[in-house]
Amino acid sequence: MKIAILGAGPGGYVAAIKAARLGAHVTVIEESEVGGTCLNKGCIPTKALVASSEILNKARKLEEFGIELEGKIFPNFSKIIERKNKIINTQIKGIRGLFKSWGITLREGRGVLLSPDEIEVRSGDGSKEKIKSDRIIIATGSRPSQIPAFPFDGKRIISSDEALDLTDIPKSLLIVGAGVIGCEFACIYKELGSDVTIVEMLPNAVATEDIEISELLERELKKKKIKLYTNVKAEKVDIKDDGVHALLPDGKKVIAEKALVSIGRAFNSDGIGLEEIGINKGRRGEIIVNENMETNVRGIYAVGDVIGGLMLAHVASREGIIAAKNVMGGDDKIDYSVVPAAIFTSPEIASVGLREHQAAERGIKVRTGHFQFRALAKAHVMGEITGIIKIVSDEISDRILGVHIIGPHASDIIHEAALAIRSGLKVKDIAETIHAHPTLSEGLMEAAEDVRGEAIHVPKK
Amino acid sequence: MDPDDLKYHKEHTWVKVLGRKATIGITDYAQDALGDIVYIDLPEVDMDVKTDGEIGEIESTKATSSIISPVSGRIIEVNEGLSESPEIINEDPYDKGWIAVIEIDDISEIDDLMDASEYMKHVEEEIK
Repeated sequence: MKIAILGAGPGGYVAAIKAARLGAHVTVIEESEVGGTCLNKGCIPTKALVASSEILNKARKLEEFGIELEGKIFPNFSKIIERKNKIINTQIKGIRGLFKSWGITLREGRGVLLSPDEIEVRSGDGSKEKIKSDRIIIATGSRPSQIPAFPFDGKRIISSDEALDLTDIPKSLLIVGAGVIGCEFACIYKELGSDVTIVEMLPNAVATEDIEISELLERELKKKKIKLYTNVKAEKVDIKDDGVHALLPDGKKVIAEKALVSIGRAFNSDGIGLEEIGINKGRRGEIIVNENMETNVRGIYAVGDVIGGLMLAHVASREGIIAAKNVMGGDDKIDYSVVPAAIFTSPEIASVGLREHQAAERGIKVRTGHFQFRALAKAHVMGEITGIIKIVSDEISDRILGVHIIGPHASDIIHEAALAIRSGLKVKDIAETIHAHPTLSEGLMEAAEDVRGEAIHVPKK
Repeated sequence: MDPDDLKYHKEHTWVKVLGRKATIGITDYAQDALGDIVYIDLPEVDMDVKTDGEIGEIESTKATSSIISPVSGRIIEVNEGLSESPEIINEDPYDKGWIAVIEIDDISEIDDLMDASEYMKHVEEEIK
């Protein structure tokens, strides 16, 4: 079986390895670099910057931990970027090495579908080559969305792509959009020294999270002196000598050295021959697939950001595995019911399952439990006491429906909850499981106990 | 003993009335129960507030707690200094640790609040 995969991001490269393991001859066509957005322009580089900003934050608190420093602490931005690039390169080599070991062919260029079994690879130097394939998996991903009021110029008005490769720390930064990307960059650049203002059209920051999580993040942004304007649409922007001038509807003007526009992602579904061979696309340009990840054209599958949906690297990878198995004769279906997600703001956010309002909307009688990190000794030891763990449960069955965390290591703690929800466990199963002391995970146990008002480290109400 | 010239709300806030202006803060009992205060989310000037309504939040190293307004009216001043140094509330809850000044809608509302000895009894009840 010969398989061609368009795109080597977390959807495409995982599909490639899975298919190769199942015995396929795999060719991956990548226009840019293996690892896709996640490795080159997303998850990994942002986390490298988060890591540097966290070290800086910790270093500023040395005295609190009883450590004396002679001299000054300040970020060396070019070295931070250098470290980030080094991490990316190591991971790129890792993926390329895996491809080699599984006999996967990597073609550099843009893959364009000519027919359901033929692809043209267009290289940067203008050369073209046709390859035959029995099956095709499209994993071309997404790119930052533009809005007409804020056209990217790569210098003053930038997307997350450029925000990862600036040469200097901007003195001031206007961020349009308080979603995941906007809030992560706000925390990074604020810590590095930028004066940060965020404007968001919706009523809350990270509006897709549980409202209690959004509200707590908003307060943390306020503590950091990041200005956040919600329910505000930035109408107009002028680029002047002293920076970007944005006019807000109430007449307020924000002037910043740069504006980062993070309002969502656009699908890479144009110019790759989809229309010519009749692959169905949705209203926003996303490729439509069924639960088996197959498009309306038999033998052509699509995975990852380009099919819309959750647009998370780990979801793309799972879709890639499903597609690869189905290409090789399987009948696997994707299950989106339990998808943990993490936001690397400071503090971190992680969630899985239903938000409280979503459970209520489904007519479920909801019972919640909360626990504050500041009631954990470990949080005090670490000097990171801000945050909560919230459990959403079904009052009648006691099943865990959702867990929402904002606080230190939220993204690590969430997986106990993911496994619990996937296994249909009850609140009491977590409450009655002994958790090691002193850890942050004890917070999940106490939140579970709190569902019945039985948490130990909470004063009598 | 809590100051005699103040009035107290059951949610552990105090009021000092001067004409239509009510200066408010949290009580010594409240600051002691909270422990080391690390952050205060202050109300905003011009905000309308209701008796028993939440006007802000206090975070200590061991808990977070809502600040409940003892009166109805409009916030006309807040103690901005608390943003930088919230520990002032621990040090001096009845004077330098004041939180806001509220222009009261209905001055007679003050009569519904507790005096110092009533508040002391209320605290003793809560501790039980």
